[in-house]
Amino acid sequence: MQIIALDEYRFRIPRDERRGMRTDVIVYASQALIDQIRKDQSLEQAMNVATLPGIVGVSLAMPDIHQGYGFPIGGVAATDIESGVVSPGGVGFDINCGVRLVRTNLTQDEVRPRLREVVNQLFRDIPCGTGSEGPIRLSNAQLDEVLVHGARWAVKQGYGVERDAEFAEEGGCLPGADPDKVSSKAKERGRPQLGTVGSGNHFLEVQWVEQIHDEEAARAMGLQLNQITVLIHCGSRGLGHQVCTDYLAEMGAAMKRYNITLPDRQLACVPIQSPEGQAYLAAMRASANFAWANRQVILHFLRGSLEKLFGRDVRVDLIYDVAHNIAKEETHTVDGQKRRVLVHRKGATRAFPPGHRDIPAAYRSIGQPVLIPGSMGTASWVLVGAERAMQETFGSVCHGAGRLLSRTAARKGRNAREVQERLEQQGILVRSETRDGILEEVPEAYKNVDEVIEVVHAAGLARKVARLRPMAVIKG
Amino acid sequence: MFEVLEHTADIGFRLRAPTPEELFARAAEALVSLGFESEGIEERQSCELAATGWDWESLMVNWLSEVLYVLDARRLLLKRFEVTRISPEAVAGRGYGEPWNPERHRAKLIIKGVTYHQLVVEQRPEGWYAQVILDI
Repeated sequence: MQIIALDEYRFRIPRDERRGMRTDVIVYASQALIDQIRKDQSLEQAMNVATLPGIVGVSLAMPDIHQGYGFPIGGVAATDIESGVVSPGGVGFDINCGVRLVRTNLTQDEVRPRLREVVNQLFRDIPCGTGSEGPIRLSNAQLDEVLVHGARWAVKQGYGVERDAEFAEEGGCLPGADPDKVSSKAKERGRPQLGTVGSGNHFLEVQWVEQIHDEEAARAMGLQLNQITVLIHCGSRGLGHQVCTDYLAEMGAAMKRYNITLPDRQLACVPIQSPEGQAYLAAMRASANFAWANRQVILHFLRGSLEKLFGRDVRVDLIYDVAHNIAKEETHTVDGQKRRVLVHRKGATRAFPPGHRDIPAAYRSIGQPVLIPGSMGTASWVLVGAERAMQETFGSVCHGAGRLLSRTAARKGRNAREVQERLEQQGILVRSETRDGILEEVPEAYKNVDEVIEVVHAAGLARKVARLRPMAVIKG
Repeated sequence: MFEVLEHTADIGFRLRAPTPEELFARAAEALVSLGFESEGIEERQSCELAATGWDWESLMVNWLSEVLYVLDARRLLLKRFEVTRISPEAVAGRGYGEPWNPERHRAKLIIKGVTYHQLVVEQRPEGWYAQVILDI
């Protein structure tokens, strides 16, 4: 495969590399990362994405890219809103999987001596793990309201405060959601799962602010050295999984009618303006709203846990909430022309620059906060979106460190107790529902998050604000 | 018996069977055993299952998706499957197991979905063959 280095952090795979590609692939990576990336099929998958009808600009690969199914994870593609397609595989099974970061008025010195107590309290109060159910029982009508109003529904019900919704991407609610386009199977799966973290790579992490790289942006976000923050990583649970399953089946059958042939069936897509395309988008938005309500309810449980431990004066404020598996209608300038496009972000985070009207007023001068979780033994990062993201990547950057090892390989030769002890020696307590939950997410299973962040920072897509170190992780 | 496939972000399996009925039944069992320690599941109740598709591949994805739905929504852990009727467009059968009890049944991972990625379902000279990648 021909990969042309454009500069230190940009690589191009030309469209004539393979028949059917309608555009180039641009990969953001360092030389060391590109050498790793070439070991799996993620670049072939980014080339497959370049064959999608109506793709606008280039098929993009972020430095955390790794092999997914259909789209690579860490892939971004925009399609023309009138003539382009929508692909559920470009969003993924976990619709609006995302990250929410909160700050507290606690410091590392206050929390470290009580860390085990904190972990146990969080584990008691916040449902984690396979098949976990939350304490909220929703009627059919209430679930439909969640699907329409997202985090705003949760706040209205008392699971949060007014400013919480304001500080989530899209205000925690995508307009245009239609509960009638969500199957009864999806609703049945989602109904008991509101306020649950789930399993896999989803977690809740207590962290401390270890480094500040941009004083002004950190001030705007209320971040200080040694302060305690909490990161919540989860999505739309069984509801979103079922919506993706339902529409993949429908689109697979419908593609023939639209004369679409693709190199990978998992890329199944239909025209955005077709009845099937519109129905999927309405159901996807409903699932995204479920995910925002889910993260909002978890924030509410977190507040309760910290108040039990540290008293009523503890402050827990939302910094921001980002979606990293989603398709959104946005306006971007391409070749000097304003275009209305559907941006698929599959394992990629929106990163709008300073001045953009979709950023909360409190952050408009610094740019949109971008939250990048690392693995449980390393670090997470807070960035802000920068102008070059708008010029080159439809306002998008990476979403994490990116997996390096398969889950089977991560488990091989490792013992959960030893991993836990090693992390404890580094000051990190981990509590998981399952032994496999710890082994599959060992730090070695991931790329070096600092290296990934360095690429997006140096390429001018986003700027570093703060590095957060984990102290405690609870997961399924 | 099936072979587990390694995949960076996901997991999969490969299996062979003499008939399509056997292939689909064993595939459902493989799916459950990747998500749970299936030895502890007892056959106390059964559940009818059916799916449709437009070829063998889509039929397999829709069949396994039905099993996932029963697991997650009805919280029914099925360990053994029988397929009674099959064509490339429709499959029907029954699963045997018991209600999911987190005290007794250890979960291994959440399977989010059944993908078309590198999916193979076909008849070969030596018998029927399937390769399935799951999103976890």
